[in-house]
Amino acid sequence: MGIWKRFFGRRRDEDLDEEIGGHLRMAARERIERGEDPRQADRNARRQFGNELLIREVTRDMWGWAALDRLAQDLRYAFRQIARSPGFATVAVLTLALGLGATTAMFSIVNGVLLQPLKFRDSSRLFVVENVPPAGSTLTRHLPVNARHFHEWRTHCRSCEEVSLFQGADLTLVGAGEPVRLPALQVSFNFFRTLGVQPAIGRDFVVEEEGNFDKVILTDALWHSRFAGDRSIVGRTIQIAGEAHTVVGIMPPGLHLPSGEQWGAFVGPPAEPLIFRPLMFAPVRQDPSGSLNYSSVIRLRPGVRPEPATAELNALLADFVRQYQIETRIALTPLQRQVTRSERGPLLLLLGVVGAVLLIVCVNVGNLMLVRTASRYREAGVRMALGASRARLFGLVLLEALMLSAIGGVAGLGLAHAGLKLFLAEAPVAVPRLEEIGMDWRVLAFAALATAFSTILCGLFPAWRLARIEPQESLKAGSVTATEGGRKLRLREVLVSLEVALSTVLLIVSGLLILSFVRLMHVDKGFEVAQVITQDVSFLNPKYARGVRRGFLEEMVAKLARIPGVQAVGAVSQLPLQGDEWVSGLRDPDRPLRPGESATANFRFVTPDYRRAMGIPLKQGRFLEDSDQNRPIAVVSQRAARSLWPNQNPIGKHVRGAGPSKPSLEVVGVVGEVRGRLEQDPPMMVYEHFWRMQPIAMSFVLRTQAGPAPVAAAVRSLLSSADPEMAISRSRTMEQIVEESLASRKFETYLAVAFAAAALVLASLGIYGVISFAVARRTPEMGIRIALGAPGSQLMAMVVRQGMAPVVLGLAAGLAGAVVVSRLIRSQLYEVAPNDPLTMACVSILLPGVALCACWIPARRATRIDPLKALRFE
Amino acid sequence: MGTSKPERYQNRIELLQGTLDMLILQTLRWGTQHGYGISQAIRSGSGEVLQVETGSLYPALHRLEKQGWVKSEWKQSENNQRAKYYSLTAAGRKHLTTAQARWNQMSAAIAGLMAPGKSEA
Repeated sequence: MGIWKRFFGRRRDEDLDEEIGGHLRMAARERIERGEDPRQADRNARRQFGNELLIREVTRDMWGWAALDRLAQDLRYAFRQIARSPGFATVAVLTLALGLGATTAMFSIVNGVLLQPLKFRDSSRLFVVENVPPAGSTLTRHLPVNARHFHEWRTHCRSCEEVSLFQGADLTLVGAGEPVRLPALQVSFNFFRTLGVQPAIGRDFVVEEEGNFDKVILTDALWHSRFAGDRSIVGRTIQIAGEAHTVVGIMPPGLHLPSGEQWGAFVGPPAEPLIFRPLMFAPVRQDPSGSLNYSSVIRLRPGVRPEPATAELNALLADFVRQYQIETRIALTPLQRQVTRSERGPLLLLLGVVGAVLLIVCVNVGNLMLVRTASRYREAGVRMALGASRARLFGLVLLEALMLSAIGGVAGLGLAHAGLKLFLAEAPVAVPRLEEIGMDWRVLAFAALATAFSTILCGLFPAWRLARIEPQESLKAGSVTATEGGRKLRLREVLVSLEVALSTVLLIVSGLLILSFVRLMHVDKGFEVAQVITQDVSFLNPKYARGVRRGFLEEMVAKLARIPGVQAVGAVSQLPLQGDEWVSGLRDPDRPLRPGESATANFRFVTPDYRRAMGIPLKQGRFLEDSDQNRPIAVVSQRAARSLWPNQNPIGKHVRGAGPSKPSLEVVGVVGEVRGRLEQDPPMMVYEHFWRMQPIAMSFVLRTQAGPAPVAAAVRSLLSSADPEMAISRSRTMEQIVEESLASRKFETYLAVAFAAAALVLASLGIYGVISFAVARRTPEMGIRIALGAPGSQLMAMVVRQGMAPVVLGLAAGLAGAVVVSRLIRSQLYEVAPNDPLTMACVSILLPGVALCACWIPARRATRIDPLKALRFE
Repeated sequence: MGTSKPERYQNRIELLQGTLDMLILQTLRWGTQHGYGISQAIRSGSGEVLQVETGSLYPALHRLEKQGWVKSEWKQSENNQRAKYYSLTAAGRKHLTTAQARWNQMSAAIAGLMAPGKSEA
């Protein structure tokens, strides 16, 4: 540019000067020839010519590169303006970096988790199949599907390209080090084909392999961690759950499958599966009215809409519904939606929160810039009088905002990167697709967009204000003592109100989240949480035949009870707060169904002392006892009793699960409600003796007075001495299980509260800045007031009143806005009304309180003004 | 706001651009001319009706030169002063023909609309 300019730009400039000069001379000469006085002629020629500087500039614009030249000039100017007040620049850049960084980080999380399509072929054609809980049931979540139903779909469904079925399992791998429990999926042979993924080494399952437990496919992670990435493992046999399995394939690296309830209704361990084997369908699973124990994912044919497919899947069950009087309704959910379901609300909420914080940052910086430009009106007036166009003044301020935002944006990218790292390290494991979070081009585009947005937001008001000034007025009103126009004052205050309103909404949202969290923590879970240790065990090994399982369990219960400090020991097929399992319709076999009657219960298989160990209150009758042996009896929860026999004594009545093969059980007792999930009302529950079903996965429950660590160690050593091949997972206390169910919510609440606190700090910074400026501008006035004997308290009241007016306005607007916003996040609140009066009251005290402090400091400064100095302030 | 000079200039440029260009090119058809001369020629040629603002004239001249419709050179004027003389290029001549054709068409159309009683005939 430099050389270019030297050769052409300078010449052109001189040319233009000369051209205009020539014009003026010619015009003047003609005037003189017409008889005008020479001096007069010169002046008239100039007047007629117009604003020489502006004409020169507009003409120069026509050359094209002048724009570039001017941009460089303006950039230098903007940079000088920023450098002139490093304090302001630091605050602006830092807050912008924080706002932009947080927003960018949050967006990359939302992008990776929610927006990006799943990494399966044509993933939009993948759907989860679930049972909708029957009308009138207390269950709020969808249920798994039935194996016999699956066979019907697989054979006949025309909308489906593939129908797959799977179930979680806990498989123990023996050999090559300590026995280890592996989260596994037992899958129909076409499971991977349905998802559209293939083993990287070896092959997929084939149809003949379904029904036999002798082939496995490993994930890349397991292959590396247990088999050192040895390729020759394919074709060899390994010992899984006590049986020899041939490894047929290894999945590609980087393949992450959903886990646990990311599949929707799911039975099995919640961890991401590491190993796969074909499903085996026991005869009991072939009962079309039997239990719902499987998850299913289907791939629709290209172009098939989910609605007709749902109708077809339902229609295929019509015969069963008629024949067995079962109630079943199938629903399809896009796999992507299902995988991200639990995190969708929280992530969008957090994105909204950081967006609001960014908005506050921008308004803040904009307001500070507005304040700063106010001291430049005079300069702007001079520039305009000298020929600067309004557009250029406008652009200058915007350029300044752009510079601040761009620096903030670049720093923000760094912060976002660091923030993401922290997020990934701290995020609860339940967040799906964490491995897909990263900063790709979409995130960079978003960051650029956010920077542009904040430039406009920061710069628009001050630029508009500066470009609107009238040169004469601003030159006349050059004295600092002049009071400002009312409008300028109002704009600043409106911006403060906006900040306060946004902060109010954020504070209320985080208040509601905190309250929900506290309510959940203290909700009656139905059992005594403290001092309970649990230990999962798995009997997925052929050596644990039915009878053996029973003997082992009873022996272990007796041994565990002798551990010092242990007061009661029981075992249960599924611990509380771990979701629904063994869900079945519930009937009284001694009477016909009332019209519209429908009850669905969770069945639990327990040892007699389970109730005491878990601390579940007995409401009526007795619990199961050792002496019951094989008598067909059951204990039900109060809710189940009330639903089946309203206002009758349930003791002595009979219950059975839906389906002809289910036995009739005599009710001997009623116990209190136990939550199946922390956030949901307790389901109806039926407790049966363990030996009736003898499930392959059980959990020991120990109530103890001793510390958890020594008891857990004793449990472990007892178990491993009883069966050295048993892989023993880490024991958990019930307190830990409660914490696990709260982990996601806790994380979300922490983040929301941190951002709301940041918003509060920013808003008070904004209030402080504006009031300080107002006080500084009014120093002479204050001086006069003090000189005339106004008491300090009066001055303070005046400043505080001026400062608090927009705060009160913003608070009112924020409260109104919060009513709308908190309705949107209703699904994430727990037993807290969106317009919770306590939260609103707290925020209505906290926010003005902080604002008052922010006003108080400058107000105090006003009272300390020395009238002598103040009057000389000019 | 309307009293401020800068904006008035810029508005004029935009409003008059096409027509002013045509008038400048037309003036240059009779030979080379400098900026002042062009403005005087348009004024006297229009019977003092059209006043060309210098704020529009010079930007227009420089724009036309950039587009290649006129070229300029420094010459001595009649009064023995150095002045920048503009002249039509071949492209400018061609552009003028089309602009003129379009102008004729438009003014005929407007004249037709404005002629009293003609629409009923």
